[in-house]
Amino acid sequence: MSLIPQLLFTGLGIGAIYALVALGFVLLIRAASVVNFAQGEFSMLGAYAMVILSGALGIPYLIALPIAVVLMAGFGVLFAGATYWPLRHRGQMPVIISTIGASIFLANTVLALYGPSPEVLPGLFDTPGFEVGGVFMDSQYLAIMVTATVMVALQFLIFEKTLLGKKLQATSQDKEMASLLGIPVALMILITFAYSAALGGLAGILVAPVLFVSVGMGAIISLKAFAANIIGGFGNIPGAILGGLSLGVVETFGAAYISVPYKDALAFGLLLLFLLVRPQGLFGEKIAEKA
Amino acid sequence: MPLLELGGLVARYGAANVLKELSLVVEEGEIVTLLGSNGAGKSTTLRAISGLVPNVSGRLSFAGQSLIGMKPEAIVRLGIAHVPEGRRVFPGLTVRENILLGGSNRRGIGRRVLEAETDEMLAFFPDLKRLEHALGWTLSGGQLQMVAVARGMMAKPRLLLLDEPSLGLAPLIVQQVFRIIAEIRRRGTTVLLVEQNAHMALSVADRGYVLETGSLLVAGAPAELWSNPDVRAAYLGGKTVAAALG
Ligand SMILES: Nc1ncnc2c1ncn2[C@@H]1O[C@H](COP(=O)(O)OP(=O)(O)OP(=O)(O)O)[C@@H](O)[C@H]1O
Ligand SMILES: [Mg+2]
Repeated sequence: MSLIPQLLFTGLGIGAIYALVALGFVLLIRAASVVNFAQGEFSMLGAYAMVILSGALGIPYLIALPIAVVLMAGFGVLFAGATYWPLRHRGQMPVIISTIGASIFLANTVLALYGPSPEVLPGLFDTPGFEVGGVFMDSQYLAIMVTATVMVALQFLIFEKTLLGKKLQATSQDKEMASLLGIPVALMILITFAYSAALGGLAGILVAPVLFVSVGMGAIISLKAFAANIIGGFGNIPGAILGGLSLGVVETFGAAYISVPYKDALAFGLLLLFLLVRPQGLFGEKIAEKA
Repeated sequence: MPLLELGGLVARYGAANVLKELSLVVEEGEIVTLLGSNGAGKSTTLRAISGLVPNVSGRLSFAGQSLIGMKPEAIVRLGIAHVPEGRRVFPGLTVRENILLGGSNRRGIGRRVLEAETDEMLAFFPDLKRLEHALGWTLSGGQLQMVAVARGMMAKPRLLLLDEPSLGLAPLIVQQVFRIIAEIRRRGTTVLLVEQNAHMALSVADRGYVLETGSLLVAGAPAELWSNPDVRAAYLGGKTVAAALG
């Protein structure tokens, strides 16, 4: 087996997860100026929803998956109502604190219900994968990459081709002006929360067969989404995707060549490095103008 | 019944009364200009009309309907479009997208009609057709102003609120903007125009009001205002300066 292509495959697979979560994270920053520290909890809750739906209730995977994603979208609206709505005129900081509170609350609620031991959530495929040219293509990583690609393409279509997408963009660029044009700003923000939570939930479901489902997964995923966003350029959409992918790759290579236990520390290291050396991130310079 | 009526309107930001019992009317088909020096409350008046100032009291009605407590989203649907100070063109959207969005929230309008109306609007304004696919942040001041007005007109308003459309524009562009304002009224839209450029504003307006620190100083026809010493004083930066200049 050739190690480098293998690591690249695995890295992009896990990076695609980070990219999905980071995407949801960035959309909230842009639409509502909310830096959501509970973004990873969306993933945890999505995975637990799937544990209940397909595990406990025995609903077939391909039916349970869209149900879980829709439930997460609904949860996103509730989350907005609890953390963002009451504080929306008070500036950014109170909302940030309230998302931190929500993340603690959600993790501990799940801890109280399910205990600390991780749950197992199988993937869609029975076959573990196949080999191509010396690289083992893990079926779950393939599913992750395909889903992530489809989601990014779908989002691009919605944002660039539909009127809804234009209204969402207008809202994220200038809420007051959007309201003067009759765009229902509150609804646009709720839609963004719903979508962001659905995206996070989907990522959690996809990554569950690789990582296990545990209470702690939320905090780890939040950190990765945050780091991906700093690497790509704060608030930048293509940056979040590229940042997520690079983080996955760096982390995987780090685990192979440096040390496995330090895998998560590597995300921190990279985050610090970017903050020190290139705080505007990979795509940083352009966003100041593009707003 | 006047199209727009403000009666004893008070607008507050926090504890400060920015508009102090302001009364004015705009009749259907008129161009009315609202003049006054920096900080007089001109923008606040327009913002209060379009629902952007949460704390207003007094009478504020459009075609007989009270606007007090209504949201901006609902007010624009009644037929009031606001082209705000600073143009506020969406920087990350193209000229075409900006203009399209102006009409996107009218009831029962389909995408195809909207695209067709956008094409008409692009053709009506000088330069815009050529810039259709340019992003907002790349435009010059004059171009931004054209986009902002075009976007406002896409709402098919009965009343257009314009806040300092000439600000920062070269004289030739200013003339272009004022020709467009006259044309807009000729086509049946009533205009309430806030300006610092009193000369240009009074040249197109039917009537004018002059504000001073949130209250009405004088009102009248352009010729009366132009020959009024108080108005001249207001434009020279207040009575003290006027007195100093004799
Ligand atoms: N958001 C706000 N919060 C507090 N005070 C405000 C706010 N906006 C305006 N003001 C104050 O209200 C007063 C009137 O402001 P306004 O913007 O309406 O004046 P203006 O006549 O439009 O002036 P300009 O010609 O400079 O645009 C000013 O004293 C201003 O400082
Ligand atoms: Mg003003």
